[in-house]
Amino acid sequence: MSDFLLEVRTEEIPANALPSARRQLREALNRALVEEGFEGADVHTFSTNRRLVALVSGLPGRQPDRTEVLTGPPARVAFDADGAPTKAAEGFARKAGVPVEQLERVETPKGEYLSATIRLEGRPTAEILAGRIPGIIGALHFPKMMRWGLGTHVFVRPVHGVVAMFDGDVVPMELLDIRSGSRTVGHRVHAPEAFELTHPSAYASELEERRVFIDPAQRRRRLEKLAAELASQVRCHVHPDEALVAEHVELVEFPGLIRGQIDPAHLELPREVVITTLRHHQKCLILEREDGELAPYFLAVVDRADDPEGLIRQGNEWVIGARLSDAAFFFKEDRTHRLEDLVPQLERLEFHRKLGSLAAKAERAGLLARWLVEAAGMTITAGEVERVARLVKADLVTHMVGEFPELQGIMGGHYLRLDGEPEEVWTAARDHYLPQGFEGEIPASDLGRLVGAADRMDSVASLFAVGEVPTGSKDPFGLRRAAQGLVRIVAGAGWTVDLAAFVRRACELAVETAGGDLDVVSSQVMTFVTDRVRRYLVDLAGMAPDTADAVMHAAWSSLPALEARARALEAVRGEPEFRALALAFKRVRNITEGQPDAGVDPALFAEPAERELYEAALAFQGELEMSLAAHRVDEAFAGMGKLAGILDQFFIDVLVMAEDERVRANRIGLLKMLGRDFLTLADLSRLQVEGGES
Amino acid sequence: MDLQSLILALQQYWGAAGCVIQKPYDLEVGAGTMHPETFLRVLGPEPYRVAYVQPSRRPADARYGENPFRLGKHLQLQVILKPSPDDVQELYLRSLHALGIDPAVHDIRFEEDNWESPTLGAWGVGWQVLLDGMEITQFTYFQQAGGIELAPISAELTYGLERIAMFLQRRDSIYDVVWGGGRRYGDVRLKEEWESSVYGFEVADVGMLRRHFEDWEREAARCLDHDPPLVIPALEATLKTSHLFNLMDARGAVSVTERVGLIGRIRRNAVRVAKAYVAQREAMEHPLGNALEGVAHV
Repeated sequence: MSDFLLEVRTEEIPANALPSARRQLREALNRALVEEGFEGADVHTFSTNRRLVALVSGLPGRQPDRTEVLTGPPARVAFDADGAPTKAAEGFARKAGVPVEQLERVETPKGEYLSATIRLEGRPTAEILAGRIPGIIGALHFPKMMRWGLGTHVFVRPVHGVVAMFDGDVVPMELLDIRSGSRTVGHRVHAPEAFELTHPSAYASELEERRVFIDPAQRRRRLEKLAAELASQVRCHVHPDEALVAEHVELVEFPGLIRGQIDPAHLELPREVVITTLRHHQKCLILEREDGELAPYFLAVVDRADDPEGLIRQGNEWVIGARLSDAAFFFKEDRTHRLEDLVPQLERLEFHRKLGSLAAKAERAGLLARWLVEAAGMTITAGEVERVARLVKADLVTHMVGEFPELQGIMGGHYLRLDGEPEEVWTAARDHYLPQGFEGEIPASDLGRLVGAADRMDSVASLFAVGEVPTGSKDPFGLRRAAQGLVRIVAGAGWTVDLAAFVRRACELAVETAGGDLDVVSSQVMTFVTDRVRRYLVDLAGMAPDTADAVMHAAWSSLPALEARARALEAVRGEPEFRALALAFKRVRNITEGQPDAGVDPALFAEPAERELYEAALAFQGELEMSLAAHRVDEAFAGMGKLAGILDQFFIDVLVMAEDERVRANRIGLLKMLGRDFLTLADLSRLQVEGGES
Repeated sequence: MDLQSLILALQQYWGAAGCVIQKPYDLEVGAGTMHPETFLRVLGPEPYRVAYVQPSRRPADARYGENPFRLGKHLQLQVILKPSPDDVQELYLRSLHALGIDPAVHDIRFEEDNWESPTLGAWGVGWQVLLDGMEITQFTYFQQAGGIELAPISAELTYGLERIAMFLQRRDSIYDVVWGGGRRYGDVRLKEEWESSVYGFEVADVGMLRRHFEDWEREAARCLDHDPPLVIPALEATLKTSHLFNLMDARGAVSVTERVGLIGRIRRNAVRVAKAYVAQREAMEHPLGNALEGVAHV
């Protein structure tokens, strides 16, 4: 068995393009090999920031021979009365390249046909690879493609070398005008000289000798080991940062790690500022003391094995010192006034071209937060909640957030705390961007929740009003996440507000600013928000999708009640009486849909089962009122369950569509009455149960 | 190495690499990219290599000379290599040698950083070059300029000179950087930074800036409507509108809704200038040659 090596050497490829490139290359190669009849070849792909690599083992020297069966003309026209082959048979034999006497017959649904089995001789494997590779490389897709030089080719970065070897031999091909060979280079600093590769199976070790680890997993192991060692030498641990490690693994050919020192004075800056500077801007790993406090060290990843003159550590320390001083300068600047004094400057920041400034947005959010206060019966004054809605956005005009946008909210929290604002105010600023979608905790204080919910509600309503509606994978303003956050806050806070009325109010304010048709916008936003509510029940609360549908069809806009009903139904839906009820309810729905409701007159009952159902329904009505008043939803559902047998008996004994019009109308009225009461809890006909139609 | 030696060394190096050593453009610009030696030369098929220092004005970045890392006007050394040669990275790394930086004892990295200029209708793909964690150069393969797809592709190298000098001299403030001739950066430029900040943030006459924006915008259009179009005068008028916009912006006079509109108006003229230049060079039958002769295009 033989091995194949492909190496495409490039200028530095962005980290985010590489995992997908490895996957695409592996899948395309596998597909091509299967198509060419190579079964059981083992394809592995690797990469560094400067090369894409595929290694295939278990290949035969030649493509396996294959047979192919060709179908010819129908047998009845292939031979004449004497049994001699006709022109049709001879023509087919010629085309298939076999003697007429070797033609076979095959039975098909359309009758008997001639067939011919032909042998396809396999070609040399290397030749097949040479034919397939250029197409595979050309079809690789990268997030951002470019041209270079004369502009003739498009790839992720300029290509400088191609190695293609089948065992010890070069597989001749041309990729982006570059002829394949067997020479490559090692690490840019440690072994830049070109050298001859001997064999695909030795490729990884020959590069490792030249300080290139082609396997990302190997680079990761080295990085993690070094990090742990350097941290423990100063009795610290590495702040876990999976995303950053994963990025570094892609950014190097040979990972090294430098530990540098931070001036302890800089650690007096807010922790998030230090972390952002180190992590987001210098891509450093952060060290912590045992108690979780930041330690005055950083770990910088380098693409080399050593720091021969200590210049790399010195340089990184200087840059980090400069960055932190810069941040300290911004911090000092920002602290020369109270954050509240910056509020008027929100006029200068655009929220959206058609929606004006952030000041206008904060104004609308304030009004919405006030609506929530009133609807939820809280004791915060209107003036205070509107003030906080403006205040939480003021950090957007600070120097620090201008420089580090990812610190929005966090800086507002720090500045307001230092300004002496009460805890519920500064934590509101800090937390109001939380949670991100469904994930994470909701703000701790009522104020944080109020402005967080109001801000998101306004974003959704106002951006919908100007036509920025998310479609497919496009959601540039993150409105899905905003609506999820809104739902999560309202549900988590347990507010018994009418979310539909909230949506309506937000749309009114949005339409006042942006114009547009209120009914159209509200109905769009309503659908969007109810869809997030449904997802909340399913994805976060863990309800079955049809449980969510059933309770939402009853009513959806009070989230705590909705969630309680969903949990109660989820708990009982597996019981036999609920399966029966679900089926019976589909019948109730089918029978009563579109029929007028004539009410119920007990005098018209003809069958005992009618009266029995009526009395049970009345009793259920009473229980329902009591249990709902006492917030005992589970009891209400238990009461519902008790009706299953009675309802079944009703359908066995009673013909709803009676001859007598008044009897019929009365029976429909009875079912409608029951349906109405049930519908305060859930539309059971939405449950998917065995034995029922879907 | 002092600041002026650094500039001289880079000019020496790129001159030897076949570049025309040009002078800074004698107009206020926000970046070396706006110099016609970049913005226009990257268009069309004619090969070209050029390097120059460009003082770049960003009034909004000014800090009254108080911030040790930020300037309202800084120095860029800009190199254009068209078409981008195969060994452009090696050429660049050798230029660091000229600054006394030996890549063998440093960590030099090319990290993805793409570039876009909405006012010039231009974008490119490339990296920021990091030296021991410090960004020292922006390295861009121009893909489009003036709204026109480019071929051949130019490589643009932009060295941030003050940052490099600070780093090499290990200074904690730009103003302590040794410039040369026995002077420090602060001796030469500190007062100017303070004055420009006062002017840009407090004094500039917004009404006048606005009028002049309109005037120069019209003047650019007049030059473009002239038969034949006057490319350089039109570009210069457009660059003036760009600087006037930056001044108004720093002064806080550009409202959120107005901003997009003004940038669009500058871009409209920039795109017309680019088209006029391409047509002009075509009419002149590309006197500097055609790098694409005989090249089949995808």
